[in-house]
Amino acid sequence: MHFLSRRRTARALPVLATLAALALTAGCAGGGGDGGDQQAADQKQTISFYHWRAEDKETFDALIKDFQAKNANITVEQSIFPSEQYQATAQTKIRDGSVGDVFTVFRGAQFESVAKAGLFADLTDEGFVDNYQESLIEPGRREGKQLGLPYQLVFNDPLYSKAAFAKAGVQVPTSWPAFLDTCRKLKSAGYIPVAFPGGDPNNAGQLLNTMVMNNLPADDGFAQLEQGKTKATDAWWVKTLTQYKQAQDAGCFAPNALGTKTDAALALFAQGKAAILPTGSFQVAAVRKQAPDLEIDLFAPITTETPGEAKYEGVYNATFILGVNARSAKQAAAKKFVEYLSDPANAATYANGTAQLVTVKDVKYDSPDLAFTEPWLTKKTLLAPRFQFTNLEIRSAIENSVIAVLGGKDPAQAATEAQKIVDEKR
Amino acid sequence: MTATEPARRAGQVLEPPPAAPIQAGRKRRSPTRPSPLLWLFVLPALLLYVVFFVGPTLFALQYSITDWDGISPSFGYVGTANYTELFTDDTIFRRALGNNLRFVLVVVVLQTVLSLLFAMLLVRNTRGSILLRALFFFPTILSSVSVAFVWSFVYDPNGGLLQEIGVPGPAQGWLGSEDTALYALAVTQVWFHTGQMLVVFVAGLQAIPAELYEAAELEGASGWQSFRHVTWPLVAPATAIVLAYTTIQSFKAFDLVFAMTQGGPNYSTEILATLIYNTAFVNFRFGYAAAESVVFMVLVGLVAWLQRRALRVEREA
Repeated sequence: MHFLSRRRTARALPVLATLAALALTAGCAGGGGDGGDQQAADQKQTISFYHWRAEDKETFDALIKDFQAKNANITVEQSIFPSEQYQATAQTKIRDGSVGDVFTVFRGAQFESVAKAGLFADLTDEGFVDNYQESLIEPGRREGKQLGLPYQLVFNDPLYSKAAFAKAGVQVPTSWPAFLDTCRKLKSAGYIPVAFPGGDPNNAGQLLNTMVMNNLPADDGFAQLEQGKTKATDAWWVKTLTQYKQAQDAGCFAPNALGTKTDAALALFAQGKAAILPTGSFQVAAVRKQAPDLEIDLFAPITTETPGEAKYEGVYNATFILGVNARSAKQAAAKKFVEYLSDPANAATYANGTAQLVTVKDVKYDSPDLAFTEPWLTKKTLLAPRFQFTNLEIRSAIENSVIAVLGGKDPAQAATEAQKIVDEKR
Repeated sequence: MTATEPARRAGQVLEPPPAAPIQAGRKRRSPTRPSPLLWLFVLPALLLYVVFFVGPTLFALQYSITDWDGISPSFGYVGTANYTELFTDDTIFRRALGNNLRFVLVVVVLQTVLSLLFAMLLVRNTRGSILLRALFFFPTILSSVSVAFVWSFVYDPNGGLLQEIGVPGPAQGWLGSEDTALYALAVTQVWFHTGQMLVVFVAGLQAIPAELYEAAELEGASGWQSFRHVTWPLVAPATAIVLAYTTIQSFKAFDLVFAMTQGGPNYSTEILATLIYNTAFVNFRFGYAAAESVVFMVLVGLVAWLQRRALRVEREA
């Protein structure tokens, strides 16, 4: 059957071919390049602020409103993704420029990969860098350049309920035997001693920071493990795994801990059923939403036999690293926003609104929830070792050996299996 | 019904339609030879297929022999190193492969048997059957994240549904135990998709002529004999669709696994789809993830081919 005559076909084909070529060209052009059409500084600009802290949205909304009032030509839009998704997709999105004129990254592997890809604009010579405590922004530095500014100062130490400790008649333990005894007493008093979120790998790994801080062969022990200078089968890691097993045998963890998600663990703690939430100060705001009156504080399990042997009292992490996208066509506006956040008065608004300490100098903390975290600024703390890993496959292998032990595997066997994967993935 | 049909029924001899006069100087196209213009109608679909399937597949093949991290503008060619590592030096890949095969086997067997069973029970178009078929189909229209959320609650060891109704389970919870997590996910997958396969089987069963069952009954065939010699052979085309679809669906069960266990505890629910995702987007080894994807594609193709072959042999027998 002939739909068109031969002559019509001859006419139609070039037209259709042209249309197809145009469609393809338009499709390819849609991807965008590096943004060659830089807008003039006095033009209205909208910048994207890309981060993972959904719980901070309201505080950032207030800050952005104030920033926009002071910078009438700049509009800031927040793009917020859950942290697991952020870990996975941030690099791609920052690279293609779809979001993130100003973006944030986690300390460790994510910072390293974004830096390696050249996605950070160099902030070394920006005046606002001086607003930060120099030692705390070290994780945002690479090869002598200040690429990012760690904004939050987090203590990845377990939260505990003062009421539960008082009811069980226990003090904050300062040695390993005292910690195990605390678990037994809390359990006898009817509490789940530790609401361990074993069903959520991301938060299950937070306890590792404090469990290992006094067992590491060196402060950068996990980095050394990744480099092959130490092994998971060495005594320090087998000891750590054995202590997890001892904690389990002492009833520290509920039998169903490995199936417990973060939300459930948080609810158990906020409802007063569990005495310890082994995640960190970054969950204070979430606890407050569910239990405004719960009296809480931080502590860390000390894994040495006597208090005097312990080198560290806890861990900290400088994270939520602010960066300006090197591929953004609106870098000037993006830097203005980072400068605004770096101002001590604005940093104080953020800190008090989100119950997070910040790395900015001269910040006045007036939130009651920061009153108990502030003393930790002067304690002997180690930069959270879990984030020394730059290879997340190796980190997973190590963290999974803890899960294997809590699932019933012998610590030495679990360590051997973890080391096999470490050797493969190094 | 065509216009010539009444005449054929009446026993008339049909004359072929008169041929169109051939114009002088022009060749007449054979009526069986399609116009090249018809290709234009295929072009949009073909373009989409090339851009979104053939292109990425070829790119994956190319990246699978590189060390690209997915971010850097440049990469190097590493030959077959990624494939060598996969098969000789990757415990997690082998574990994910084993988990995936177990998951597929459990889901394919359970889902096929259950959907066929329910289809046989609900094959008649009574009001009750139609209502039940709709109810069984309902989970299919839900998003996989919603299903994952609901089933996470069902399995939750802190007051989840199974615990509340007194179903005994492992101390660590169904999703917290290395021994049960994969099977718990398989049950969720079966619940999610059985209704969809049931519809395919109902269509297949309703196409079987009732006379065949009547004949079997007259011959004194038992219920099992009717199923074995009438239903099973004639429902084979529907079974082929169900098996192929379920297999591919089970291999790709990324969303449920990711939302419910993230591959844990201790890699016990890591399957190839989640492993590829982690390799590419968490560990930034795009080249290696591409090699994993190529192996994955070959595996799915192989299993689908084996299934088709087995069913053809069965049908011919």
